Amino acid sequence: MRLRDTLHTAIIAITTNGRRSALTMLGIIIGVGSVVLMTAVGASMEELILGQISSLGSKSMVIFPGQQAGPGGAVATTGSDKLTFEDIEVLQKLSAIESISPIVLIPGKVTYGREQVSPMISGVVPNYFKNQDVTAARGRIIESRDIEGARSVAVLGKDSAIDLFGVSDPLGQKVKINDRSFTVIGILEPVGSQFFQNFDERIFVPLSTAKAVTSQKYVNFVTLQASESFDVAISEVKSVLRRRHDIQNPEDDSDKDDFIVRSSAQASEILGSVSLGITMFITMIAGISLIVGGIGIMNIMLVAVTERTREIGLRKAVGARKSDVLLQFLIEAVLLTLIAGVIGLVLGFGLSALIAAVLEKFFAAYTFAYSIPAMGLAMAMAASTGLIFGIYPARKAANLSPMTALRYE
Amino acid sequence: MPKVPLIQTKALCKSYFNEELETPVLFDLDLTIQEGEFVSIMGPSGSGKSTLMHILGFLDNITSGQYLFRGKPTRTMSDDELAQIRATRVSFVFQAFNLLPRTSVLDNVMLPLLYHPTIPVYEREDRARKAIEKVGLTDRTDYLTNQLSGGQQQRVAIARSLVTEPDLIFADEPTGNLDSKSGVAVMEVLQDLHKQGHTIILVTHEMSTAQHAQRIIQLLDGKVDKDSTNFKRIIAKKSNTLK
Repeated sequence: MRLRDTLHTAIIAITTNGRRSALTMLGIIIGVGSVVLMTAVGASMEELILGQISSLGSKSMVIFPGQQAGPGGAVATTGSDKLTFEDIEVLQKLSAIESISPIVLIPGKVTYGREQVSPMISGVVPNYFKNQDVTAARGRIIESRDIEGARSVAVLGKDSAIDLFGVSDPLGQKVKINDRSFTVIGILEPVGSQFFQNFDERIFVPLSTAKAVTSQKYVNFVTLQASESFDVAISEVKSVLRRRHDIQNPEDDSDKDDFIVRSSAQASEILGSVSLGITMFITMIAGISLIVGGIGIMNIMLVAVTERTREIGLRKAVGARKSDVLLQFLIEAVLLTLIAGVIGLVLGFGLSALIAAVLEKFFAAYTFAYSIPAMGLAMAMAASTGLIFGIYPARKAANLSPMTALRYE
Repeated sequence: MPKVPLIQTKALCKSYFNEELETPVLFDLDLTIQEGEFVSIMGPSGSGKSTLMHILGFLDNITSGQYLFRGKPTRTMSDDELAQIRATRVSFVFQAFNLLPRTSVLDNVMLPLLYHPTIPVYEREDRARKAIEKVGLTDRTDYLTNQLSGGQQQRVAIARSLVTEPDLIFADEPTGNLDSKSGVAVMEVLQDLHKQGHTIILVTHEMSTAQHAQRIIQLLDGKVDKDSTNFKRIIAKKSNTLK
């Protein structure tokens, strides 16, 4: 029997039993559909998170005081006074570091007239804006003279400017930070969110002013930019801080340090391993659903073999060989799963596009992404499910004796 | 020079084995059928006529003795070899028609051609249409088989058995599921085919059906009981209701 005839016969068998074929395929459709859907949503999420992380720049890092609470855990509250201005002065002299900005946070509220916001108020040096790669959209950023004079000036993020001033011009106006007046000297260009915090809601004042206001002897965190090699900068920073803080840590165990170095490279590494874990988990679930779907296929094929016993007998009587019958039923099973796979693929793709369209409305940074290897894998798994679970019924059909098959009632 | 018979069996034996237990069905059966004959094989149930048809029709192997087809011994063949001979040399008309449901007359008749090793694809439809014409169902070519009457369905089955132009057509109780008028129409088609030169072996337990043949072989307990020329031959007449 020619392969084309076998294929044609299988298609006819599937279409003449349309409703049953559809029900049989359901398991595979759901299996493949969910793999495509989950991996697409996962890919979108990963892209979203990566976007947040990489907005920091590949040569940037942030140093927090305190101890790591656990692998990838949050910054501990204890030891938040460990980074001193003396530490910063030493770090500043390292040739591996291009620019460094200590940050002192002022807790409190900012008011203008009757408007009031509670942003993150950061005391910074000009380098901060360089590290973040952000410039003023209007007016200017904080400059050295503001630091030297400990001036009461403020630079507003785009959103806090709108929140406080609405449509009126903030430049030259005075805002109050905890009852102290600050003159607005600049508005930053929009940045968006970084590490899931809205950068545009922040307010910046000179570091010296923040020190004076809070009388704080330590820094809340430090941003810095490597001059050449990121890895050299990171290891130099660590060795300087360990020496100054009397920490013996030759094995580079971050649990022993009283500071935490965060970088976009590190974060994406963690994200990479997390998303690999999630992908494997999804694949496992999908594998289970495909096995269940495959058993469904096997059941229905067995029913079909019984139902079509006389047809099989007839085919054998008119000259079909064992292998012809075997191939016919095997192709039918594989075709069923392949069609189901394509339907699942289209459904999963469509559904994830729909989800993306909805989420984009709420989450501007969410974009539709999908994983082509995952789709290919899902299809391959569906087809091999048909092959594996089709073998038993197909063999059963092929081994039927034509004499008994013909007389089957 | 004597003509080589189409079918010749010498001391043919067939037993079925069920866990070492031998159940003999045919013993020492000697039979010769010439090309162009129309033979009825008769016998009560259990006489071995179905088994004989299965063996002569290459659906089964013999246990001992000889089965010569066109003078060639067929002794034992693999499943694939049997399938090959069924595809090219013999064909069957069954009591229960065994047509594919929800499938057109044309597709049903073309079915054996799917398994034929030499007939090219482009000849299939042509051959099928000619076979349908021979049984007088040209106007039903595109009907689905379940839209036809029993007699028409059996004629479709006959067309299907003709399409490969086999050496031999087996008809196993072809009128068993039909009313008498449809039965007459089917027998008429078989007699027509015989007139055109086809060799036909009719298997039946009814004398009235068997009497349509030229020769009647009666089996009893796995042996030939009587083998005689049929002098009371019935000629199926044109029926008014069918055809």
